[in-house]
Amino acid sequence: MKIELRGRIDSNNAAAVEQDILTQLAGGNAQEIILDAADLEYISSAGLRVILRLKKSCPALKIVNVNSEVYEILDMTGFTEMMTVEKAYRVVSVEGCEEIGRGANGKIYRIDQDNVVKVYKNADALADIQHEREMAKLALILGIPTAISYDVVKVGDSYGSVFELLNASSFSKILATEPEKMDWCVKEYVDILKKIHSTVVPAGKLPDMKETVLGWARFVKDYLPEEAGKKLVALVEAVPHDDHMLHGDYHTKNLELQNDEVLLIDMDTLAVGHPIFELGSMFNAFVGFSEQNHEIIQRFQGFDFDTAQIFWHKSLAAYLGTSSERKLREVEDKARIIGYTRLIRRKIRRQGLETEEGRAQIAFWKERLLKLLDTTDTLLFTRSELEIEAVTENLPAVQAFVEEHLEAAGCPMKAKMQIGVAVEEIFVNIANYAYAPEKGTATVRVELSEQPVTVTITFVDHGVPYDPLAKQDPDVKLSAEEREIGGLGIFMTKKMMDDVSYCYRDGHNILTLKKNL
Amino acid sequence: MLNIIKNMEKDTACFALEGRLDTVTAPLLESELKEALPSLSVLTLDFAKLEYISSAGLRVLLSAHKAMAGHGSMKLIHVNETVMEIFEVTGFSEILTIE
Repeated sequence: MKIELRGRIDSNNAAAVEQDILTQLAGGNAQEIILDAADLEYISSAGLRVILRLKKSCPALKIVNVNSEVYEILDMTGFTEMMTVEKAYRVVSVEGCEEIGRGANGKIYRIDQDNVVKVYKNADALADIQHEREMAKLALILGIPTAISYDVVKVGDSYGSVFELLNASSFSKILATEPEKMDWCVKEYVDILKKIHSTVVPAGKLPDMKETVLGWARFVKDYLPEEAGKKLVALVEAVPHDDHMLHGDYHTKNLELQNDEVLLIDMDTLAVGHPIFELGSMFNAFVGFSEQNHEIIQRFQGFDFDTAQIFWHKSLAAYLGTSSERKLREVEDKARIIGYTRLIRRKIRRQGLETEEGRAQIAFWKERLLKLLDTTDTLLFTRSELEIEAVTENLPAVQAFVEEHLEAAGCPMKAKMQIGVAVEEIFVNIANYAYAPEKGTATVRVELSEQPVTVTITFVDHGVPYDPLAKQDPDVKLSAEEREIGGLGIFMTKKMMDDVSYCYRDGHNILTLKKNL
Repeated sequence: MLNIIKNMEKDTACFALEGRLDTVTAPLLESELKEALPSLSVLTLDFAKLEYISSAGLRVLLSAHKAMAGHGSMKLIHVNETVMEIFEVTGFSEILTIE
């Protein structure tokens, strides 16, 4: 039974209001009382006592449509904990507001200088808003810079969530209006991407992206020649489970620069999985969606197709830690397989096969996908760069990372061991001295060049400036009794590598090892 | 990973090392040796299955060698080519007894 509360309820009229409510209840079912507070402006303790008495006779009582002033009173007096109190949704209009972002489930508008609202396009938005809030909270706790909404509002027929976002502009806007900041944008964009991908998510908290992509592959399989279809599904199936975080919709409209801080604003697509799935969706965002019609990217991101392609290419290079065009193309091809699979499925599900234009688009993607399937045997890739906490416990992980690259290059046993010794020496040095007694990270990059086959391994840390090569070599001719323990490792490194160099630049120690294989 | 298979009889011991002797695993060998050394006069280290040694491993060998020098002897057997090269580069092949 619904009862409306109006105006002010205080000691002047509390008794009359109570009498009125009891009269209304006498005729109806008192098992369920809903107090509609849409027009309630104020309630004093006399009014609260009326509600308490009602609650005693009807434990399931709830109060709905409570405005923020009344909500504050109910909250302060502990009523929000004693009974169900539902806030009224503030009504917000986005007419004439600047669209500053766009995610999978809605658009983001700036409503005033300090606040933005994300308007959800689907009907069941309250559940989605709740979901996204939980995703954002989880990400924030795990160390990903993001904004969490503080209010839910009504926008026309749908709902929106409100965030505080001061003086912010999206990376898309920066790329569109300040092209000279391209390299800065790439660096920040890739730094956050690496951070996301190095975040381990507790089991069961986020959906598995592999399952989603497997669903796309199985759908598209039926529209491909039998062998190609089977191969597509097998490629996705062969990607191992990975419990690292993926963003799922990582493009430049979802990244905001607020003062000096970079924030992610669209978190409803968070998942876990192998990073190739992320690269697939990034390829689509910058290239795939607009490959046939370059106007699309201009409309969506505000910058042109050339800028998008350059940004994607530079980001991929920075993410992989390589400038080798061959390696970039190799990984891009894997990303394109996932990208085209998604585009084909999406178009078919949107009745694309029923129009001339749709069929042409699907044929375009299909042709490329078939070519790629022909030349690709795995979706897996390794980054040439590893960022890892510099502690000796991580030595095996560093060695495994380096060895993976050496094996791919067919490195002989002897050289492998020599490189291992050098890598150990440099990494353990960083672990022991660079940040002591604090902790910090080291970046290890492995690059292979052909003719002659040379492996170059670079270590970067931002600890105290220290040149390990400056140390005097130990005298290896001394007898056991005279030998000092220190300095041996660096000496071995110098002896067994073809080149070892050190420099200190922009606050970083950079040590480079070179070995001809 | 490092496995140490110990074979001890009175004052004679053979430690067979399997795997990697590096910064992470050297402390394990160091503590095993520290415990056994005082009562030994003959120590043999079997390197047949040792795949890798770094300076951290060399340090343990050097201090074991010094500790044994007073009351016995230490020798290395079955040293493979790549490990042998490390001993040569560092002059350890001159210090240690290697068969």
